Amino acid sequence: MLRKLCLPAILSAFLLGHSALAGTFGSVVSIGGHAADVALDEARGVLYVANFTANRIEVMSLATNTIQTSINVLPQPYSISISPDGHWLLVAHYGNLAQPDAPANALTLIDLRNNFAKQTLALTDPPLGLAFGLDNLALVVTTANFLIFDPGSVTTQLLISIPDQAAKSIPQAPQSFPPNIVAASVGASRDGSWIYGFGDTLEFRYDVRNHLLFSGSYSASPALGPRAISVSDDGVYAATGWSMTDLRGVDFAEFPSPSGSLNVGGHAIDSVNGLIYSEVPAHITDPPVLTIRDTDNLTLRESLQLPEHLAGRGVLSSDRNTVYATSDSGVLILPVGNLNLTPRLKASVEDLLFLGNFCDRALATQTFLLSDPGGANVPFSITSSNPAVTVSPKSGTTPAVITVRVDPNAFAGQKGTTAVQLSFASDVAANLPQNVRVLVNSHEPNQRGSIINVPGKLVDMISHPSKDEFYVLRQDLNQVLVFNGTNNTQTAILRTCTKPMSLAITYDQTKLLVGCDNSQIISVFDLATLQPLAPVVTTGSYVQSLAASSKATLALMRDGGGGSPNIQGLDLNQRTVVDYSRLGVYQNKLPLNTVLAPAPNGSSIMMASSDGSVMLYDAKVDTFTISRKDFTSLGGAYVASSFGKYVIGNKILDSSLVQTSAIQPTTGLSSGFVFVDQSGLFISAPDAASPGVLERVNLLNGTATLPTGVVEAPLLGSTSAAFTRTLLMVPSRSEIVALTTSGITILPPNYDAPVVAPFISRAVSAADLSSPVAPGGLMAVLGTNLSDTNQATGDVPLPTTLNGSCLTVNGTPAHVLLVSPTQVNAELPSAAAGNVTLVMHTAGGVSNPFVLAVASGAPAVFLMTLDGVPNVPAIVRWNNNLVVTATNPVHRGDILTIYLTGLGAVNPPVNDGDAGLVDPLSRTVTDPVVKIGGINADILFSGLVPGMPGAYVINVGVSASTPQGLSVPLTIAQDGFTYSTNVRVVQK
Amino acid sequence: MKLVRLFAACFAAAVLPAAMAQTWEFGVGAGAGFYPPQQISLGSTSVDAKLKTNVAVSTWVGQNMGNRWGGELRYSYQLGDAQLKQNSTEAVFGAETHTIDYSFLMYAKPSESTVRPFVSAGAGIKFYRGTGTETVVQPLSQYALLTQASDLTGVFSVGGGVKMKLGSHAWLRLDVHDYMSPFPKQLITPNAGANVEGWLHDIVPMVAISFGN
Repeated sequence: MLRKLCLPAILSAFLLGHSALAGTFGSVVSIGGHAADVALDEARGVLYVANFTANRIEVMSLATNTIQTSINVLPQPYSISISPDGHWLLVAHYGNLAQPDAPANALTLIDLRNNFAKQTLALTDPPLGLAFGLDNLALVVTTANFLIFDPGSVTTQLLISIPDQAAKSIPQAPQSFPPNIVAASVGASRDGSWIYGFGDTLEFRYDVRNHLLFSGSYSASPALGPRAISVSDDGVYAATGWSMTDLRGVDFAEFPSPSGSLNVGGHAIDSVNGLIYSEVPAHITDPPVLTIRDTDNLTLRESLQLPEHLAGRGVLSSDRNTVYATSDSGVLILPVGNLNLTPRLKASVEDLLFLGNFCDRALATQTFLLSDPGGANVPFSITSSNPAVTVSPKSGTTPAVITVRVDPNAFAGQKGTTAVQLSFASDVAANLPQNVRVLVNSHEPNQRGSIINVPGKLVDMISHPSKDEFYVLRQDLNQVLVFNGTNNTQTAILRTCTKPMSLAITYDQTKLLVGCDNSQIISVFDLATLQPLAPVVTTGSYVQSLAASSKATLALMRDGGGGSPNIQGLDLNQRTVVDYSRLGVYQNKLPLNTVLAPAPNGSSIMMASSDGSVMLYDAKVDTFTISRKDFTSLGGAYVASSFGKYVIGNKILDSSLVQTSAIQPTTGLSSGFVFVDQSGLFISAPDAASPGVLERVNLLNGTATLPTGVVEAPLLGSTSAAFTRTLLMVPSRSEIVALTTSGITILPPNYDAPVVAPFISRAVSAADLSSPVAPGGLMAVLGTNLSDTNQATGDVPLPTTLNGSCLTVNGTPAHVLLVSPTQVNAELPSAAAGNVTLVMHTAGGVSNPFVLAVASGAPAVFLMTLDGVPNVPAIVRWNNNLVVTATNPVHRGDILTIYLTGLGAVNPPVNDGDAGLVDPLSRTVTDPVVKIGGINADILFSGLVPGMPGAYVINVGVSASTPQGLSVPLTIAQDGFTYSTNVRVVQK
Repeated sequence: MKLVRLFAACFAAAVLPAAMAQTWEFGVGAGAGFYPPQQISLGSTSVDAKLKTNVAVSTWVGQNMGNRWGGELRYSYQLGDAQLKQNSTEAVFGAETHTIDYSFLMYAKPSESTVRPFVSAGAGIKFYRGTGTETVVQPLSQYALLTQASDLTGVFSVGGGVKMKLGSHAWLRLDVHDYMSPFPKQLITPNAGANVEGWLHDIVPMVAISFGN
């Protein structure tokens, strides 16, 4: 154990270099200055580091991760690049000195094959950056020109002039870092075919093979930081600051909430694995954290604590195992290819859902595995945000099975779902493990719906218009989750653009559209195949909401240029957007918190804003025909009908968007609405931890009837996202789906049908439905309205509730195997004795108390139906492992296995609901007496069936003198009760 | 295994006196057994029950007693699945029989004749044994149950045939026997309420060769 603990730690320490910080990833090489750029020379086993303030090129050994020598160069080496043939190292010096000093802008060419022999070339303008292309020529970008530098002749050739770029002069205020001063970055793809670069307003791509330059200006808010560029191997895309851009200049993904700091953060792309190693902090005061994200939509895979901040460019080794990045102290070496040697913590689950059981107030437990993905022994501690949710162990070493216990009494007063966070800490682990969300649901019998746990941040949901399939938008992982609406299983996951906000289906029902707030694209999927199609490019804009009509498909856009949010049309043929200069007679200026709701028949699109304004797009005339502001604020549900009715929040609007009535009574906050014929369903909740309320709405007067509690609250709006779309009915109308706290909740269309309280008429042995019941045995409770549907479970230990039905025995919940309208099979608690009282609890109410006389022993053989023959005792011949029947009779001398229940206490005992033990076997305390034809059979074993709760087995040897016959009585006697059945016995 | 040894002992005991008499005959033959079905009735319906036609082999020792009379002790083995059949529904269960009987033979011609027709009659025991694999369900089980069980019954045998001289000590025999035994109710057990009456006939034509002095 000790060796396992130590070995990974030692390996990690070795790989992390001289890092002295526990719980961080990577090692720091200090250079005694400010690193501005790095260039990797793997052929020589060195990394060149431009030391901007010390006027040196540091040469760091890749073998020892130490600075082995330095090359003194002209002042302010800012940008460096190695020629593809490995001959030259080119250095750009930013010498934009203010008067009285003379400018000292220059290039230094260092001959790597000749003892670092240097040649310098003065530049007229301050250089912003440089990079070699595959032609062994370097592109040099200055504030005024793009130059091509030929290292052979040590000359530059003007490629093109550009308008003068603003350049800061030297000196600058203290605490100014190279990216703050020069504010530009240039980088080439690994194959040298493309060179990307950007400054404060300039952005360009250079096609090296064809000598074509694509340049332009941009604006960004916040500033496009970190001021670093990382290019994919083939140059097809690049990370420029907090933006991912492609060859068309499309901003296809953006890092979330960037601070805009130029000198804090950086990145390096591993395009083979589709990953980007990055630090793009939301605040410059954030601790240094490396994130590992997918390059296509920046989905976060992992977060690792760094010893210090990145500070610009990072380069990835050709084996993709190591990133060398400029950092606060100089260079940060990140062994990204050996992540499994870095201590980390990872939980096996995202969520744990504890479903409420209104008759079980015992501690509920679930487990998950906390481990190090690399298999190491990592110490950890766990903190729960709610004292009623406890974990065991609270601390320890991975791998560890963590038991989560929920005290239902602490949530007894709650009628919905409470989310509790389990957070993890470690002195050793380098990663920031994701919390486990513990969802504790507690609800009353009259609350309806079945919860399906769907982890993550769910923000939108729509149904396919014509087939029972619905789509849930998971924002945190940039996914559309596709559900089959007939069995509610998740059938597919679609990767979307970054930070998806809204779903829409085109009017022709062929495409699913996903609009995103951190992408300037709209993801498009073929609805038939669920395959991605070419996206719609929304240059400069970010989709907040989407809707399709029979004429136009509209998007509510946030303007990346800082203008007002506005409506744009989608050209799905060209995959572009169409700017609307005006919306009919109205200005195209809208509040940000605005949503669009399409009429199912494509006739209109309603727009609702949180400031209380509404608009209507009429597809017949292809323009906006209505704009009103009759309310001070709006939020909650938003939906349009096909017959000129609209619902926003709890307001019902007519075809002129004038309120005709309000839905009332309502409970709490509006969340979702769905039109059903000429009426509607409305779901609301006071808050996230309360029950949802679903009610039917008369659209003529807004009267809500039959308010029915839902097992948990629907998702509710917030200040930043006031509107919610959380309710749908699948096209076949077979079910209602709600987006709720734990994921989705399914309700039948007749969810509000009156239900009748259960009634218990009899309780007998579950084996034969006639014998009495003994403690620990399986019983059948017979009656009416015991459950609204049939449901069985194979879970062990047995649950205490199924489909919302549960049974108490003297107030103690019994473990149930099966519920149906007329029969519930359950295990009688082992402590039951004498007369006990059974009470059934269902959504319809509480049953009559039924008094059951419990026998200490009441053996009864399970009966089964074989090929249509009912009531065949579960007696199996050892010889052929087949059930005894008239055609497979008992032979004298046989060994029989009899499956039964009701044999009472066992030793060692097992907990109620648990299965029989495997080793040691649990034997009956009082062995039964088995006779066949009046002749004793030898008891070879009598006890619990291993692995099955409440089921017993007796193995007997049949005497050679057992009488033969077609129908010979087989009796099992125990504690005064004798069970009898008949078997056929034949000769040996 | 015990059963086979018992037959071997019986056979040896029977051979010994014949050999000592010096007017003996020893033969082996092969043929087929045909069982006309018996009806097992249940209420107004019934099912045909029998053993299916299959190969039969036999061996015997014979004793000549004068010109016209003889006797022989015979062991016969027959394969033949137990069968229930009603229209197209059938239940079959592996089975076999062993028979030992002693019959008197009366010849139509004296012992010097080249061709000797004869008739025979005798009695013995017949052992039915189920050898199939028992199953949980069996078709037509409401009538009868086919089981891995055995029956030991008495048997009467009548028959006839002809012996043709092939050489000074060899004979070719063509004969047919009808072995009549009580119905084997352990092998084919009428289920509750079902009945079977009468005897089960087993008609065995056979070609044989025998040797003697």
